[in-house]
Amino acid sequence: MPKVKEIEVLIIGGGPAGLSAAAAAAELGASVLVFERDDKTGGQLVKQTHKFFGSKKQYAGDRGYQIGNLLIDQCMSNPKVEVWTDTTALGIYEDGVVTAEGQGKHLKIKPERIIVATGASEKMIAFPNNDLPGIYGAGAVQTLMNVHGIVPGQRVLMIGAGNIGLIVSYQMMQAGVEVVAIIEAAPTIGGYLVHASKIRRAGVPILTSHTITEAYGQDSVEGAIICQLDEKWQPIPGSEQDLKVDVICLAVGLSPLTELCFQADCEMKFVPELSGHVPLRNKYLETTRPGLYVAGDVSGVEEASSAMVEGRLAGVCAAFSLGYGNDVAPKLQADALAELSELRAGPAGQKTVNGIKKLMDKGGAAC
Amino acid sequence: MQTKETIVCRCEDITLDEIKSLISQGYRTIDEIKRVIRAGMGPCQGRTCRMLIAQELAKVCGIPVGEVLMPTFRAPVKPVKLGTFAGGE
Amino acid sequence: MLNKTGVPTAEDVLTVTPSEERLKKGPVAIIECFQEIPCNPCTEACKQGAIQPMEDINNLPQLDYDQCNGCGVCLSRCPGLAIFIVDASYSETEAIVRIPFEYVPVPRVGESVVGLNRAGEELGTFVVNKVQSGGQKNKTYTIWLVVPKALAMDVRSIRLGGLRHAN
Repeated sequence: MPKVKEIEVLIIGGGPAGLSAAAAAAELGASVLVFERDDKTGGQLVKQTHKFFGSKKQYAGDRGYQIGNLLIDQCMSNPKVEVWTDTTALGIYEDGVVTAEGQGKHLKIKPERIIVATGASEKMIAFPNNDLPGIYGAGAVQTLMNVHGIVPGQRVLMIGAGNIGLIVSYQMMQAGVEVVAIIEAAPTIGGYLVHASKIRRAGVPILTSHTITEAYGQDSVEGAIICQLDEKWQPIPGSEQDLKVDVICLAVGLSPLTELCFQADCEMKFVPELSGHVPLRNKYLETTRPGLYVAGDVSGVEEASSAMVEGRLAGVCAAFSLGYGNDVAPKLQADALAELSELRAGPAGQKTVNGIKKLMDKGGAAC
Repeated sequence: MQTKETIVCRCEDITLDEIKSLISQGYRTIDEIKRVIRAGMGPCQGRTCRMLIAQELAKVCGIPVGEVLMPTFRAPVKPVKLGTFAGGE
Repeated sequence: MLNKTGVPTAEDVLTVTPSEERLKKGPVAIIECFQEIPCNPCTEACKQGAIQPMEDINNLPQLDYDQCNGCGVCLSRCPGLAIFIVDASYSETEAIVRIPFEYVPVPRVGESVVGLNRAGEELGTFVVNKVQSGGQKNKTYTIWLVVPKALAMDVRSIRLGGLRHAN
C-alpha cells in the first residue's frame, strides 16, 4: 500500500503568498509542508528586479528578488517547514487526501489544513498569427531574461500597460532591448503611473486606446499592425500603424489559478475585479470547504505586497485553528487585516475592495 | 505564412475559426467544445483557451462572460504520465 | 493627460515645483509622484523631517521645501524613481539636476550625455559632473547633470547608451 504522509498544514505554491503562509504557520508551531512546482521557491519574486512599493512591513524599497530571498531564508531557517520542490499538486479529494506528482512519483499527503497559494497564469488574446515564434507572454520574457540571462530579441512591441507590461518593458530596456511602443486597449494606463513616467521619459511611447490587429512574418515575427480604438473600443479606420518588431510581448492580465479550488468543490464566483473565477472565502481566507484557505493571486489578482500579507494571514489562521498560538494569533490576524485594508485603501486598491465586496455578497450568482 | 490563423488553444493547435464554427453548429458549452475538438485537453489543461472560448460563447449567447458555464475540473489537474501512477508511491 | 501618456502635465509639475526663491537657495527635492498608491519609503528616507509622515499610506508625499536640504536620500529610495533633486544655485547660468538611473552603461563623470524631458524628447547635450552609486543593496545610481537654468525643471532623463542602441 502506498504510504500517506501526514502533515498539519499543507501549502500549495511556494511564491510570495505560500512562503509567507509557511513562515507564519510554522512560527506559531505548526508543522508545514510546501509544494513548489518549480525547482526552487520564490515564485515570480525571484524575477522581479524593481523596488517594491508598500511600507516597511511589506519590505518596500527592497527589490523583488531580494524579498524573495528573504522569504526563502525565513522558511529554510525554520525546522518546522519542509519544502518539496519539483512537486505539483494534482487533486484534493473528499477524504482530505491531496495527491501530487513529485520528482516523477505519485505522492499522497493527508494534511489537516490546506492553503492554496497557486498564484495566477497569464491571459492570452486572440489575433491573427498569434502563434508566430517571437510572441511571448511577459512572464516568459522575465524567465528568459532574469532566470536564464537571454534577451528575447532586439525590438519589442509590448501589449498591455498594466504593472506587468510596464515593469517587463523597463526590464527589457535595462537589458538593452529596444521597446518600440507599449500599447493598451483601455483609455488609461492601468499600472502605476510612476512606472509609466519612468519608461516614457526614456523615450518609449505608451499608446492608450490602441490594440494589435495582427502579427506578421515568414518564420517568426517581423512586425505588427496596431490600430487606435474609439470610445466604444472599436478600431478607428485608417489609424493602422505598421511596427517593425521581432518580439511581441503580451501582458494582458492574469487569471487566478483556481483549478484545484474548483476540483476541491469550493464554491466559486466570477468576479471581474479580481480577474476571474475565485473561491468564496471569509475574511480569514477560509473557503467554503472547511480547512481549505486561499492566499495571494489565486484569491484575486493583486500586487505581491498584498499576497505576502494574505499568506501571513492564512498561515496564522490555519495554525490558530489547529490550536497553535492562542495567545498571539488574534493580534496577528488583526494586524494582517489592518495591513490589507491599508494597502487597499487608496484609489489603486478600490478595484480589489469592490471585487471582494462582490465576492462576499450573499445571494450573487455562484457557479 | 500561408493563411492568417488566430490560435485559441495553443496546446491542441485549435483556431478561433474552428471554435466559431462549432458554436454556429450549436455547441454551447466549453465542455462540449472540449469533447469535440480537444480544446483544453493539452498540457496546460485549458489555462490559455478556457476564457477565450468563454468569451466567444458569451458573445453568441449575449450573456456576461462570468455566466458561461465552466467545464468540470477533475484530478489530476495537470497531465501525468501513466508510469508515474503505476510506479507511484 | 498623465494617465493616458505617462507624461506629467505642466499643471502636474507645477504642484511639486518650489518657489523661485527656494530654488535659488540651493538643492531641493522635486517629488514627481502624482498618483495615490500604497507606498511610503520616501517618508522614512527623509532624515530632515521634510517629507511628512503619511496618515494613510496611499497619500501623496508632502514635502516641506524649507526643511529639505536636497541630500538626495529620498531620490535613491523612491521605488518609483519619481524623485529628482534640482540645485539652481550651482552657477550664474547653470543648475544641477540629479536623476535616478538604473540602466547600463552608467555614464562617467565628465561625459556628455543627451538630456531628455518627461516625454523622452531631446533637450540638448549636458555634462555629467558626479555619479553616485546606490550601493550593493539599493543599486540605484544618482547622475548629476549640469544643465542651463531654464531647463532645470525639464531635464528628467538621459538617452540610454549601450551598443544595442546604435542604429
